[in-house]
Amino acid sequence: MTVDRTRPAGALRRPPTAEAEAETEAGARAGAGRPAVGLPRAADRWPPLLGAAGLALVAAWAGGSAYHQDLAVLFAVYALIGLGMYVPFVMAGSLSMAYGAYAGIGAYAVLVAQVKLDAPFWLGWPAGCAVAVAVAVLLGLATARLSGFFLAAVTLLFGTAFQRWLVASEDLTGGASGMAAGAGPAVLGWHPGRGVLMAAGLLLVWAVAWLVDRLRRGAWGVTVRAAREVPLAVESCGVRTRALDLLALATGAAIASMGGALFATFQAGVTPETFTLDIVFLAVFMPLIGGLGTSWGAVVGALVVVETTVNLPVLDDSGKLVLTAVVLAVLLVAPNGLLGYLDRTRRRFAPGAVRGGRDGARG
Amino acid sequence: MTDLQIWVSVLEMGCFYGLIALGYLLVLQGAGFFNFALGPYATVAGMTTAWLVAEHEVPLWPAAFLGLAAVVALSVLTELVVVRRVQSRSSGSELPALVAIAAVLFMIEQSAGLAFGHQPLAGQSLLRTAPLEFGGVVVQPYAVLLIGVTVLVFAATALWIRYGRSGRLLRAVGDGEATARLLGLPVARVRLLAFAVSGVVAGVAGLLFAPKAGLQFDSGLGWTLNGFLALVVGGTRTVWGPLAGGLLLGAVQMFVPYYLGSEFVSYVVLGVALVFFAFRPEGIFVWRVRT
Repeated sequence: MTVDRTRPAGALRRPPTAEAEAETEAGARAGAGRPAVGLPRAADRWPPLLGAAGLALVAAWAGGSAYHQDLAVLFAVYALIGLGMYVPFVMAGSLSMAYGAYAGIGAYAVLVAQVKLDAPFWLGWPAGCAVAVAVAVLLGLATARLSGFFLAAVTLLFGTAFQRWLVASEDLTGGASGMAAGAGPAVLGWHPGRGVLMAAGLLLVWAVAWLVDRLRRGAWGVTVRAAREVPLAVESCGVRTRALDLLALATGAAIASMGGALFATFQAGVTPETFTLDIVFLAVFMPLIGGLGTSWGAVVGALVVVETTVNLPVLDDSGKLVLTAVVLAVLLVAPNGLLGYLDRTRRRFAPGAVRGGRDGARG
Repeated sequence: MTDLQIWVSVLEMGCFYGLIALGYLLVLQGAGFFNFALGPYATVAGMTTAWLVAEHEVPLWPAAFLGLAAVVALSVLTELVVVRRVQSRSSGSELPALVAIAAVLFMIEQSAGLAFGHQPLAGQSLLRTAPLEFGGVVVQPYAVLLIGVTVLVFAATALWIRYGRSGRLLRAVGDGEATARLLGLPVARVRLLAFAVSGVVAGVAGLLFAPKAGLQFDSGLGWTLNGFLALVVGGTRTVWGPLAGGLLLGAVQMFVPYYLGSEFVSYVVLGVALVFFAFRPEGIFVWRVRT
């Protein structure tokens, strides 16, 4: 175990952030006898059910319209990238911005499997995950000593370099024009239609959001979040915080690569322009808009992002600008995001609901 | 390495990155914060000027003045509306401020795209004389202006930081904001001054570099990253550090494509960043880097 002596002792006494405060407060309200890691039932039951209902609504809205299906899949892709980012960014507190690259790896893996290796498309999914995890771990090892602005800068530079590499290595990636699979995806001779693929994508979002939420509130998630607040204390309990960080980065990269793979499977094509740095910025904004307190915040944020940047005809070109204004407003006015705001409103009108769980208070 | 024409380009790039890095250094000293919006500030200065001249037939110098004024206003607003409020709430953690400045960066880029269009604009040169020639090496007038103004700006900043009353205040606030506050120094005003001056520096950089690089609404992010890298490579101990870092980075960016191929620029820059960020001891970065 190594203890970094450069960190000032004051770090331990740093006042907890608003988020942690809300949590302790709510934990105290939930009853002193409850262990910290316990899962109250209401928090277990309602978010996945509401999430499933919301995703079913999205599927129903998309229906048979090809354009709406495109949008629904784009939403699922964004949600997966946002969920991938949620793990290291919100839980572990390190803003790694190489997520465009991880999603790109996932997408290219699916197409390389189909076009170059003549293998079934689904082989590309685990392969892409594996490559993305390997890259994330290597990058995480190389940047293990960096935090904050330095980490953000290096990972942005990595994203730029990765994009240049996609364009330059034409033999593998098809260069600037990208790759396209001739036939759609097939499983043992069966060609699922676009509606089936879209439904599968939305189901994947639901499963991943549910798992990430379980992860966040399980023992591992609590340790990771504690390490974000008081690394020295967690380290001195015998936990290797560096390994925790690496694991968080790897998990996030795997989830983001699935987002890329979903895009490539549905659209049967990808170019170096598909996952640009713009998407990385949007992915940072998604959990913020939705709310940091639960992984469902990233899903809600993805919905807002797709709606403002692509779907609203009024906004046209200014969608991203409006979105950034929303993000700044959220940062300045409602640091708990949309879900946090809704939750507070709910509590105000139904004080009895407080006993239901400690989770919602985090917003 | 013997082609003098390339060295002229190295000087141009180096001066530009050095100026951006100087902007970082000023905000870092005054507010303990890396202002990632400096790259977009530089694009806004260049684009406002070019757009006013090309689309509205405003004379060149007033247009340039308006461009600079716009950037100073942006920089001051960044501090007043965003950074100050987010920092005061986040109790020492730098992640909220980082996310907020990323949002500002993205917002300025998107607004520039909306206001000035998504097509590249040609930068306006403030000096319109014939190119100079020294023994086969052609030096464009904008390069003369860029290099000359850079040297002037750095010298003036060095003198100001060392001898000027507000410059000394800036260092006092940067060395210990809590102490400065305790002593009754006008911390908020000094921070604002740091943002304003760094805005001027970034604006001048964008204005003078635009004729060489051309302007696009999203070139700001690359400028932000390169300026940051120049600051880290050069170190933050002296005012001249950023210029040294900028020149080194300029040399890398000019010679790597010449010898290896254009795509290697981003790989080598990433490598330089990794090596410098990971292996330079804290002595060169006065500010905390490691976790």
